[in-house]
Amino acid sequence: MLLIFEDSQKDHLSFLADLDAEVLKEFGKISLNFIRKGANTKIFQGAAQKLGVPVDTVQHGVEALMYLLTESSKYLLNEIDFQDSIMTLGFGDETRSSLLALYLEHRREIRDILNEMSLDLPHYHNLEWRFDVQLASRSLRHQVSPSILMKLQTMDGDKKEMKMLQTDPVNLVHITRVLEEALQEMKSGYCRRITRNIK
Amino acid sequence: MELAATVLENIVLAGDSAHISDKLFGQLVTCACQGIVFEENRNVVGDNPAFKDVDKAILKAVYGGLVSLIVEAAKHDSNEQNISTILEECKFTSDRINEFNKIFLSQKPHLQLLLGKISSSFPHIVDVDWRLDYYIKNNNLEKIDSAVYLVNLKTEIPDEKELQDVQFSCTLEQLQDLVGKLKDATKCMEKIAQV
Amino acid sequence: MEEVDRIIIHSLRSIGCDLEDDVQSLRQFGTEIIIASVVQCLKVIIGDIDLPSTLPPGMSARFRLGASLANNVQDLGYKGGDLGYQTFLYSNETEIRKIFMFLVEKLPKESSQAADEPMGASVLLLRAISTELSHQLSLAWSPPFLKDRGIRIRSKAPGWQREGACCLQHYRSCHISTPHSLGNISTKIPKELSSYYKTHMPFVTNQTQLHRDTAPSIMETNALEIATQQDWENEWNQIGLASRLSQQEFKRRKQERLLKMIKDRLQQDSQRQDRGEGHAASSDLQQILNTIETQSKAGVIKTKGSRFAHTEKLQYAKDEEKTMSQVGLAVPAKDTEEELEKKRQEEIEGLRSELLNLTAQLEKLDIEVKKFSANRQQMEEVISTEAKNSEEKNASYLVKKRTLDLLPEAEANIGKLQSVVDTSAQRLLNLAKQWETHRIPLIEQYRELRQLNSKRESEAQKKLEEIKLFRVKMKETADDARRKDELQKQLVSEYERMTKDVNRSAYTRKILEIVANIKKQKQEIDKILLDTKSVQKEINSLSGKLDRTFTVTDELIFKDAKKDEAVKKAYRFLAALHENFEQLIQTVEDTGVVMREIKDLEEQIEVESNKKVLSNLEKITEDLQQMKKENATLIAKVKGK
Repeated sequence: MLLIFEDSQKDHLSFLADLDAEVLKEFGKISLNFIRKGANTKIFQGAAQKLGVPVDTVQHGVEALMYLLTESSKYLLNEIDFQDSIMTLGFGDETRSSLLALYLEHRREIRDILNEMSLDLPHYHNLEWRFDVQLASRSLRHQVSPSILMKLQTMDGDKKEMKMLQTDPVNLVHITRVLEEALQEMKSGYCRRITRNIK
Repeated sequence: MELAATVLENIVLAGDSAHISDKLFGQLVTCACQGIVFEENRNVVGDNPAFKDVDKAILKAVYGGLVSLIVEAAKHDSNEQNISTILEECKFTSDRINEFNKIFLSQKPHLQLLLGKISSSFPHIVDVDWRLDYYIKNNNLEKIDSAVYLVNLKTEIPDEKELQDVQFSCTLEQLQDLVGKLKDATKCMEKIAQV
Repeated sequence: MEEVDRIIIHSLRSIGCDLEDDVQSLRQFGTEIIIASVVQCLKVIIGDIDLPSTLPPGMSARFRLGASLANNVQDLGYKGGDLGYQTFLYSNETEIRKIFMFLVEKLPKESSQAADEPMGASVLLLRAISTELSHQLSLAWSPPFLKDRGIRIRSKAPGWQREGACCLQHYRSCHISTPHSLGNISTKIPKELSSYYKTHMPFVTNQTQLHRDTAPSIMETNALEIATQQDWENEWNQIGLASRLSQQEFKRRKQERLLKMIKDRLQQDSQRQDRGEGHAASSDLQQILNTIETQSKAGVIKTKGSRFAHTEKLQYAKDEEKTMSQVGLAVPAKDTEEELEKKRQEEIEGLRSELLNLTAQLEKLDIEVKKFSANRQQMEEVISTEAKNSEEKNASYLVKKRTLDLLPEAEANIGKLQSVVDTSAQRLLNLAKQWETHRIPLIEQYRELRQLNSKRESEAQKKLEEIKLFRVKMKETADDARRKDELQKQLVSEYERMTKDVNRSAYTRKILEIVANIKKQKQEIDKILLDTKSVQKEINSLSGKLDRTFTVTDELIFKDAKKDEAVKKAYRFLAALHENFEQLIQTVEDTGVVMREIKDLEEQIEVESNKKVLSNLEKITEDLQQMKKENATLIAKVKGK
């Protein structure tokens, strides 16, 4: 698939096409930094002075580059699609390949950043267990009731949550079996067919 | 097992055939067991017409003594021998001791069940549900394409009728980790069971 | 080997192998018996195993059976050489013995283990845990809604198991009471109490708000009474006995002491407070003190209303009046809201100022009262000192008046007085004499009594000590008895566990026999070794002697040989003789070596013959023939179809 740009974005990007490869690399670095840590407008002033262009142009250029990188990472474009997408914008061979290299190198990282931003459910983090046998209580001495105490840690975003749970041998065997079946399900023909077809 | 002086005194009264006849004794012990175990039977001695000729003050004392004895004996998991020793000290005849033992031992499981329920616990897992999703994309990201399990542990909480859910999601690897640990626990138990 | 065979046969019999009574060694085992015994052993060791215990008639089936037996034995960890169908079908004694030794060792030996180690409580506990766990693990899961609030009923003791938590409840207890001292005729129960017992008191299981709190409450009541009793006993043993009071007396004194302590403490605090500001609080305390006093002096029951109570009453009365009047005022005047508001405001203002006035007045009055009371105290003191003064003065006045009266007739009066003095002196003397006569026996009696008393006291002391000792002893014996009871219980359970462990004594006997045998054999070996050593020594000394004699003769003759021809001849003979004898010795040694070799070979032959090679070979050829026949018939059948 190809990325589709609006006209203004095309304008902004075409500014980049005229730059030297070195300068373009610098722009790429700045864009990546912005994606990682958020925008820092102070940089634009200096860059604009150096290049002798208005501040706006520099800003738009960087923003357009950020858009290009995130959008292509979002759709996980392959090399050819990426090159085809920017083909029409007037980039030379050298700048195009340096942009491609930049994209390929940082695709994984950008996807991770995007993934962090998406909706997430509380998910499993760790489980600790121990085996106890209750031998007596205040109201009943001489009992032997085995139990398994569990500490379940889940993560909700950055927040770690901890829950104490317990169960008895019969139920433990049961839940182990059921969850094992769940694991097996992933290997079933049906699931494999679906994963194959979706990719 | 230790019994207080007043309790012993009341048990001695229970053994005295001048107060409680042999015929009534068995019934009284049965009533005491039922009175402890079942809510609807909590006043069963008072309602029983068989006891109408017994002096009420004596009956209450005797009943109280027997109830204490039964509860304590169940708490300490006493066997026939222990109980016999105590009752012999309270001047019971051997017939009465045997009768008491017969009734008490038949009721002991119920009594111990009742006593075992007086306890506390963390949420207790009784069942588990799971759902397998295939995570395709979200508003920020496409082609994620990974399996996500939604696991729902159903737990029971002391003194509450409704089951409570503990929900979390996990990826295939995380589920493998979880199942591995659970299997570990199961194996550990099996090993102990074989000793 | 006989011993080993006997042990193996014994164990085989004990696991249910059908062996004839006259079977004494493994040599008597035929293929049938071997197969049956091995299958039986495997069944006991592995549990469920699907093998026929009799030899099947078909040759190929036999072959398969042998192969699977070999597999199973190897799976158990057998490492003694290569194992195959031939080991079982074409057996030789030594291999079969090795296999049986291995299998017998592998047999589960719960009973013998239990007998070996003494059963500690921890072992019992571990065992209980493992049986419980294995039982639970063998159960099938069932969903929570099929269980009665998380409880599963089962057949094994205690008849239930918990698989959930929703049935749990907290340990909550409340006060429970039962009639007491009914059996004790000496204590009188008040009429009111007994009528309460009879008509109103509920049965113990019916006393708590919630029925489920009944059991905890009963346990708690019992525990409370026991704890109180123990506490009291401790105190009585430590302090009470030494004070030599009766129990009631001791309790009464303790109560008094405590009340007094409380009173003192409160008084001190209230005085401290008086110096500060809180007036009301101190009078409040005064009231408490009063009640304590009345309690301790059970005679005075009526409490005088304290100052505080009075003022309080007055204040409330006033307030009530005011509110009443306000209500009365508010009803007729139905004015507009604002006016009402205003009126209220005014009223409030008025009341507030009044209140201020009143409080100011009250304070003033309070101060005055204080002043007056201080004054009064002072005055009282003054009055009492004055009264004392006047009394003293009255007394001195009386004495002086008497003397003044006597003054006018001094002579006569003096004489009178003299006579009075004389008679009184006489009387005094008389009395003194009389007193002496009474005094002596009394003093003696007193001394006797005192002695008696001291004796008794020391006796009491001794008895007290004894009582204390007895108490300690009693406790010790009771503890001992309890401990022994527990031990006995444990031992009984152990004993019940250790049923039908008969072969233990047989084993020990056999082991002892084997040890004795080994000792005997060792002695014999030692003897033979000694023999060989002595023979070796003899041989050595003889050969040494021979050498020496030879060299001596050799020298002697050699010296003479140069001079005499005959001697020369003799020398030559000597050399030949020596050589010949050396050859002879060599031959003897060689024969010895050969003999030994022969013995070795004989042993080897025996071993080989033990392996029943010939008979096995015959059997194998027969079986081969049979197999060929079977194959032929099978081929014929196939062709026939």
